[in-house]
Formats: sequence, structure tokens, C-alpha cells
Amino acid sequence: MAGVDVGGGGGKKRAVDAEINMIPFIDLLLVTISFLLITAVWTHMARLNADAQVPGKPSDDPPVDGPKPKDLHIEMRGTEKFVLQWKQGQQVVNSVELPRKEVKIVQKSVEVIRFPDLAVKIAEEWKTNGQHAAATDEKTDRAVLHTDNKTEYKYIIGVIDALYSTQRDRTFPGGKTEKIPAFNVTFAVN
Amino acid sequence: MPVHKPERRLLHFISLAFVKKKVAGGGQRPVVAGLSLTSMIDFLVVTVVFLLMSFSASGEFGIPKGVQLPKAENVMDMIDAPVVAVTGRQILVDGAPAGNVGSIIEADRLQVIEELKVLLKQRREYWISLKGKDKPHPGVVVLTIDQNVPALVVKSVFQTAAQSGYPNVSFMVDSLPHAK
Repeated sequence: MAGVDVGGGGGKKRAVDAEINMIPFIDLLLVTISFLLITAVWTHMARLNADAQVPGKPSDDPPVDGPKPKDLHIEMRGTEKFVLQWKQGQQVVNSVELPRKEVKIVQKSVEVIRFPDLAVKIAEEWKTNGQHAAATDEKTDRAVLHTDNKTEYKYIIGVIDALYSTQRDRTFPGGKTEKIPAFNVTFAVN
Repeated sequence: MPVHKPERRLLHFISLAFVKKKVAGGGQRPVVAGLSLTSMIDFLVVTVVFLLMSFSASGEFGIPKGVQLPKAENVMDMIDAPVVAVTGRQILVDGAPAGNVGSIIEADRLQVIEELKVLLKQRREYWISLKGKDKPHPGVVVLTIDQNVPALVVKSVFQTAAQSGYPNVSFMVDSLPHAK
């Protein structure tokens, strides 16, 4: 029998050290390991955030006059190219076209769509035109996604993923600094 | 059967020198190999601790059958919020049916899904009744959508969620490790 016995007792007296039976202890550990391995979740779920831009409650404060924020509009309706437009209200400030080069990766029979060129271009565009780059700025630049009705969801996620690859530092009131996406995405209704 | 006081044990109190000598090898290589329990127990304890620490609650988000999530790299951790699932056929709110995908595709126009709106509003009102009106509603909803669903359905669900008091919409994805 497996056990820990440090001896003692001298044959007549009662032993001062008790013997611990190790077998149930090892059994318990093995059962625990088996349970944890069987119930473990090997896929890691996560999320991509988006903002539906619903107007808030009406405020008594008068509207602030000032320049309208610049938004990045991503036109992904064409099969050949992306069009990136910075718009201030309805006015187009800057427009860039980019060939639509998608990278398809098959992982465990699931097709993953990536747009690495788009990610690089968005990062460049944000460095030039982004308005909320300061670490203390609590707002983020807005990206508006234009897509046709037939585009499959995986392509939309590919574009949102490329958008969120551009990140910036954000210092929170407690002094903690974290990396956050430089854009917050929403959908165009058209 | 009566219970006896334990007698003296072989090898512990009765030495049996010739057996010990045989087992130990008697100058030759021993016939019985010893198993170090200490290192084995250490290994098991470390494994249990590692598995307990890496045990993740994010697997508790039930994904309906038939939903193949897309994969993404630049993701955030999951949050606790109502889950709207969109399979190839139907829309579900926390497992309860809330609309038909086929009818949206057939209509071929962006629309507010009434059944979904009613269910989401019910959940919002229930949250407010539990937490009180003083506490602002977070307005967060998680969309679990099959990767082959067309954008028309995605946009319709997105718009319906926004109009039902859930402007912070999150898309559930399968997390990919960051490429170098």
C-alpha cells in the first residue's frame, strides 16, 4: 500500500505520527483532472464592438456650434475595390481607392476572410486624418460601413477586424493606460 | 466478522532480511523499481491548479446548432448581455424564436423585425424593473450570427436592436491568435 509512514511507536506505544493513505488522494486528483479536461472549452469566444448611433435624450443645453466630426466611410459594395472616404457631414474631405485583395484561410474547415492591405491603409489614413488620437481623449473616430445586402457576414467581420487592427493608447482617469481600437464602427442604412 | 487489533506487519516490524535483500537486488540490479509518489503528486497538483486557473466562463455562451461563427483577431473579451442568435433559418433571443430569416431575404429590404423588437423590449423592461430606473440601462446586446448569413439580415437585426434600446451591439466571433 502506498503511504507515508515516518515510523515511531517503538512496538509498544502508540505511534506519534499517523500514516496518510495516499491512494484516495491520488484518486481525487486524477478524477479532478479528468473532470476539468472533459468540461474544458477549447474555443475562445470574443466580440467585436459596434455602435448603432442612436440619439440620446433631448438636452436643455443649446447645440454646440463647431466643425462637424470627420467620419471614415468604407465602401465595400464593389467586388474589385474598397473606397475610403473621410466625410465631414456630407462634404467629402478625402477619398482613396484600394484594390480589394482578400486573403482566404481555411482553419478546421472554416473559411476565414482577412483584408491585410485594407488594415494597413486604414492605419495610414487614421494617422493623417484621425481626430481622436490623444490618450486622454475619451471619444473615438467613427467608421461607417457601406455594404450591399447580399454580402456574407464573414466579409463584414473581415473588414471590421481590419478596422480594429488600428489601435491607440487610452489613459483612463485612474492613470491606467490601455490599447483601444482607434475606430468605432457602425453601418450605413443604404 | 470480528474486528481484530492490527498485528505486526511484515517488512515494517518483522524485518525479513532475505526478502529485503532480494528486492533490493542483493548487490545486483533491483528487480522492483520504486515509484516516487512525491513527484507524481506534485505533477498532479500542478496540473489541477493549471486547469482550474485556465477554466474559462466564456464557454458558457450557448451557440445554437447550425451557427458557424466567423473568426477575428482584434477582439474584446465577452460580456454578459442578451444574446441574439441568427442561424441560416431563424432568429433567437436567448433561445426563444424571434423571427424568420427567410422572410427578411424574401422582402429584400432593410426592416425592423417586430418579434425581435418585442422580446428585446421585454428584456430591457425586466432589467429596469430589477435594477430600478435610477440605474442607466447598459444597452448592450451580443449578436451570434452564422458566417454565411447575408448582410441584409445582419443590418435588419442591428437596426432592430438599436430601436429596441440596445445601441451597443457586439458581434460574437471566434478569437484568432494575433498574426506576427
